[in-house]
Amino acid sequence: MSSREDILGRVRAGLQRNGANAAAGREAMAAALANRVQGPKPAMDSSPKALLERFRVKSEQQSTTVDIVAQESDAPAAIARYLTAMNLPKSAVAQPSLAALDWSGAGLSVEPRGARDADLVGITGCFCAVAETGTLMMCSSPETPAAVSLLPETHIAIVRAARILPYMEDAWNLARQELGALPRAVNFISGPSRTGDIEQTIVLGAHGPYRVHLVIVEE
Amino acid sequence: MEIKSMHFKANASAKLADVVLQGNLKNAKGKFVTKRAEAIKDLDDFEGTRDAAVAIRNKVIDNLDLWLERFEQKALDTGAQVLWAKDGAEVCRLVTEIAKRHGVKKVTKSKSMLSEEAGLNQALEAAGIQPVETDLGEYILQVDNNEPPSHIIAPAVHKSLSDVADLFHKVHGTPRKTEIPALTREAREVLRGHFLSAEMGLSGGNFLVAETGSVALVTNEGNGRMVTTMPKVHVVITGIEKVIPTLEDLSTLMRILPRSATGQSISNYFSILTGVKRPEEHDGPEHLYFVLVDSGRADVVGGDFHAMLRCIRCGACMNHCPVYQTIGGHAYGWVYPGPMGSVLTPLYAGIENSIDLPHAATLCNQCGIVCPVKIPLPDLLRKLREKQTERGLRPLTERIGLRLWAWVAQRPTLYALGASLGARYLKWLAGESNRIRLLPTAPEWTLGRDFPAPQGKTFRELYAARRNATPRA
Amino acid sequence: MAKVRVGLFVTCLVDLMRPRIGFATLKLLETAGCDVVVPEAQTCCGQPAWNSGDAPGAVALAKKTIAEFEGFDYVVTPSGSCGDHIRSEYPALLAAEPDWRDRATALASRTYELTDFLVTVLKVDSVPGDHEGSITYHDSCSGLRSMGIKDQPRALLAKMNGVELREMNGCEECCGFGGTFSVKFGEVSAAIAERKCDNVLASGAQAVVGGDLGCLLNIEGKLRRMGNETTQVLHVAEVLAGRV
Repeated sequence: MSSREDILGRVRAGLQRNGANAAAGREAMAAALANRVQGPKPAMDSSPKALLERFRVKSEQQSTTVDIVAQESDAPAAIARYLTAMNLPKSAVAQPSLAALDWSGAGLSVEPRGARDADLVGITGCFCAVAETGTLMMCSSPETPAAVSLLPETHIAIVRAARILPYMEDAWNLARQELGALPRAVNFISGPSRTGDIEQTIVLGAHGPYRVHLVIVEE
Repeated sequence: MEIKSMHFKANASAKLADVVLQGNLKNAKGKFVTKRAEAIKDLDDFEGTRDAAVAIRNKVIDNLDLWLERFEQKALDTGAQVLWAKDGAEVCRLVTEIAKRHGVKKVTKSKSMLSEEAGLNQALEAAGIQPVETDLGEYILQVDNNEPPSHIIAPAVHKSLSDVADLFHKVHGTPRKTEIPALTREAREVLRGHFLSAEMGLSGGNFLVAETGSVALVTNEGNGRMVTTMPKVHVVITGIEKVIPTLEDLSTLMRILPRSATGQSISNYFSILTGVKRPEEHDGPEHLYFVLVDSGRADVVGGDFHAMLRCIRCGACMNHCPVYQTIGGHAYGWVYPGPMGSVLTPLYAGIENSIDLPHAATLCNQCGIVCPVKIPLPDLLRKLREKQTERGLRPLTERIGLRLWAWVAQRPTLYALGASLGARYLKWLAGESNRIRLLPTAPEWTLGRDFPAPQGKTFRELYAARRNATPRA
Repeated sequence: MAKVRVGLFVTCLVDLMRPRIGFATLKLLETAGCDVVVPEAQTCCGQPAWNSGDAPGAVALAKKTIAEFEGFDYVVTPSGSCGDHIRSEYPALLAAEPDWRDRATALASRTYELTDFLVTVLKVDSVPGDHEGSITYHDSCSGLRSMGIKDQPRALLAKMNGVELREMNGCEECCGFGGTFSVKFGEVSAAIAERKCDNVLASGAQAVVGGDLGCLLNIEGKLRRMGNETTQVLHVAEVLAGRV
C-alpha cells in the first residue's frame, strides 16, 4: 500500500468514514469553499481619507517611512529626495512595470529588471495595500519580480491611494477579480525585515531590507 | 530527532541548577506575555476571532481526508507535486531523493519543526548534501554543534547575547561583537551567499490553502522568502493537519497567529505561494514539492486527542507556562516543549517514551486560556495521565498509593482515623519550629521548601468536640 | 423567609492541616444567616485521583460526595480548586451514567466557592473580621480561571477598614503547587514558588492571602525556607471571619 493510501486510510478510520458521512462532508466542504465566510474584523472608517490615514499610521508603526505625493509622475523626484536625505545611492533596480516613469529626469539611474545581489535600492509598486495592518500586497509576475522587494537593503514602494483597501479579505477579492488565479507568489509586506531571535530584541534588516519607504500617490 | 523525554525529571533538575540558563530564562520571561497582551487589545472581538479560528480548524480536521484530497488536487493543478510520508524516515528518504534528482549540493532551510522531528539535517548530511539553517535562531543552534531548539518560534531563546557573541567569534573567526545588530548583520552576510548558491530551498508550512493549492508562510526575517524565491527547487514539509479551506480563513487565522506568537498585529512577511515559476518570470522555483507528513497525526484523528490537531504552533502555551518559564524547552527532551509538547510528544513519539511529560504541569490552565484555537490542554494532559494509568505505565508505588488513598477516602471512619493520626504525626514531626524541613512521606516537597505544620487535630475532631460542648437547639 | 441550608464541604486539606479555616468558613456563613450543616462522612472530592489518571477512583468519590451533599440548597467550600472540581468535572466524569450525570449537573449548579457565595448569592454587606494590616492577594488558578473568582474576595476585603490591599506583580500566575505536581516534581514546583514569593515580598505587604490552602502551604513553606519569618500566610476566610 502506498503511504498516501495508508495515511488517508487511517484518517478515514479515525473519522469512521462511510458513504453517508462522506456525502455530508463533501457538502460541508463545498459550502465552505463557496461561502468563504469572513471572521470578525476590527471596525474601521472606510472613507478614502481615513483609509489613507490608517494605512500611514500603521505603516509607520511597523518602522516604515511614508511620503505622500499628488500624482505618479511626482514619485521619481520624491524618491530622489528620500535617497539624498538618507545618503543612499542614486541607482536602483525597479520592477519592469515602472519602466515608463521619468527616472533620469529626477537624477536617478534606474534599471527595470529582476533583482541581483549587488542591487542596493529596489523600487516597486504594489498590487494593493491593506489599511488594517499597514501592509503591502505584492503579486509576482514578469513585470513585478518578487526579489526586487527582497534582495536590496532599501525597498521603496509606490502605492496608489485608491488601491488602499480596508482588510486583507478585500485584497483577496480584488485579486480574484483582476487576476483570476493567484500568482506564484503573493507577499504581504509590513515594514523592514526583522528578527528578535537574540534576547527578543527587535533588530531591523535580518535577511531582507533594512528600510522600507512608501511613496503614496494621492491622485 | 532523538527522544530524551524519558529523562525529563533529571533534565529539569540540571536546568534548574544551570545558573547561566536561569539568568537567560529570567531575562526572557514575560516579554512574549506582555507583547501578546498588548497586541490582542486592538482586535475589537478577540474572543469572536478565536471562535472563528476554532471553527475553521474544526471544519478541516473533522473531514480531514476530504480536505487533503481537495488540497492535493488543487496543488497538482498548479504544477506542484504532492508526496506523502508516513514517518520521519520517509521524509528523509523523499527529500534526499528530490535533492539527488535535481543535482542539489546545498539546501537552504526556513524553520521547519517537522524537519526537526524527522532529523532531516543528519539525513541530508549523510547523503552528501549540505543543509543550511537560515532562521537566525536556527542558524545559531546549527553552528553550535546542532543544538536542538528550545522553543517552537524562538528556537534560541535560551541563549544570551553573550552566548551568541562567543559563538560567532569562535565559528566565524571574526572579532567578538557585543551588539545585537552587528551579530545579526554578521549572520546576514554569511547566509546571503548560501541563499544565492543553494539549489534547493526547504520550508515548513503554516497553512495549506485548499481553495488554491497554496502554502502560506509566516515569517519576519525574510529567510522564508529567500528560500522560496531564489533556488530552483522548493520543498514544503508539512503535517497533514495544516489544511485550511479558503483565503478568507487565512485572513482570520492571521489576525490571531502573530498576535499570539510574537505579539505582532501581522508578521513582517506573509507569503502565499502557488505553483512554480511562470513563463517569463525572473524568479521563483521551477519545481515545487509538497511532502505531507503523518508521523503520528493520522492516528490522532477522531480520538480523544482530536482537538490537538487544531494547533497552529504559535507558542503562546509555552510562553505562559510556569513550568516552561522555569526550566526552558530543552528539559522536555524532544521537538515540542511546554504544554502543547507535553501532549504531542506522547502522541507522536510514544506515550511510553515520555512518562513524565503529561504530569509536568500544574494544570493551572493558563495555556488553555491563551490558546488561540482553544485547545483544552489541561484536559488533554489529564487524559494522557489516564491512558498511562490504564496501561500500567506509572511507577508501581504511585499506582498503589493512589489506589489505596482513593479506597480509604471512600471509607469515612477509616479516613477520619488516618487523618487524625496524620495530623498528629506531622505536628510531632514539625516540633517547636512549627515546620517540617524533611518530609519522609513526600521528600520531594521539602527539597526546596518547608512543609508548614498542621494544627494537630482534624477539623472533624474539633467540630465534633464543639458540637458536643454546645448542643444545638 | 426560611434560612438557606448550606452543606459545608470542608476539603481534605483543611480538615488535616488548618481546621481554623473550616471554622472561619462556618462563622462567615452563619453570620450571614445560613443554616450550615457539615456532613460527617465527607472526605475528599476526588480531584487528586482524577488528576492522577485514576478515573475509577475519581468516579467513586464523586458519587460519594454527590450523595452526601445533594440534599442542600447550596454546597459551599473554602477552595476554588475543590469547588471547580465539583462544578466543572463531576458532570463530565459521570457523563456515561445519565442518572448520575443529571445528579452531578444539579449539584454543580448549586456549588460555590466561599467568597463567590458570599458576594454573588448572599450579597453580604459586611464581614465580621477585624484584621488590620496590609495584604497582597494570590489568585489561585482553578478559582480564577475556571470559576471566575477575582473581584469577589477583593470586594469583601474592601469592606474591612483595617485592611490595605497591595497588589503584587503576577498575582494571577500559578504558585507552582499543582496538587501532586508539588511532590512529583518538587524542585520545579519550589522554583516556581520562589518567583511567587519574590513577588509577595516585593509587594511589601504584611500578609499574603488566598483562597486555596494548597497554594498557601506552598507559599508559606517557600517563604520560610527563604528565611522569611514575618510575612503572614492566611486563608481569605480567616481574614474575613476574624477570631473563631
